[in-house]
Amino acid sequence: MCDTFRVDLLNGTHAFGAQGANGVRTVTTKDVFKMALYFASATKDRSTTVYNATGEVGNSGSYSAGGVTVANATAPANTGGTGVVTFWTPSASVSVTTFTAAAFDAAVLYNSSNTAGNACAVFTFGSQSITAGTFTLTMPTNDLTTGLLRLS
Amino acid sequence: MTKVHTKNGLIDLDQLTVKDFISMESNARVVATEWYHKGEMVRRDVAVSLLQGQEVFGEQQQL
Repeated sequence: MCDTFRVDLLNGTHAFGAQGANGVRTVTTKDVFKMALYFASATKDRSTTVYNATGEVGNSGSYSAGGVTVANATAPANTGGTGVVTFWTPSASVSVTTFTAAAFDAAVLYNSSNTAGNACAVFTFGSQSITAGTFTLTMPTNDLTTGLLRLS
Repeated sequence: MTKVHTKNGLIDLDQLTVKDFISMESNARVVATEWYHKGEMVRRDVAVSLLQGQEVFGEQQQL
């Protein structure tokens, strides 16, 4: 998880679900989040702060610079258990079709609605190459143990 | 006849040889499918299943 994401949470930078309006904030829509793919040669880790096109895979098939919008039909949930955990996971897999790219190994989840594109987390999966095919990133089960982003 | 999109255009499924490769990364299961036509790889798909997300961790103190 990106270090700056923790700060962003306290600053109310990200709305994974609809925000509650308050005395100074009237925007109640949720933000758009994207997954951008990066070559193995790029350095993407917890120090990543914002979306950056450097090291991103090129436009190919249904992939274009900036990445793929993640489906967000499920608002963050908070369920009981041994410890109370809040979790959020995209509501569908990320998929890129008719796609060609060599040696990419990371996906950066970032807030596309945010002007700077503040990063949330980096996910790595080993170096992969696609030839005129489909890349699918299937999300973990959306629960308190494996949800993509969890606060406990 | 079912046709498959490849880097060489649409090719009949029965002219393709398909190989699947499954591997495990530290937090992902990866299934790669390679499609060959006359010995040449003409398509490669990859499906990555993330196994677990990431957590901001802290424990509520008890009074």
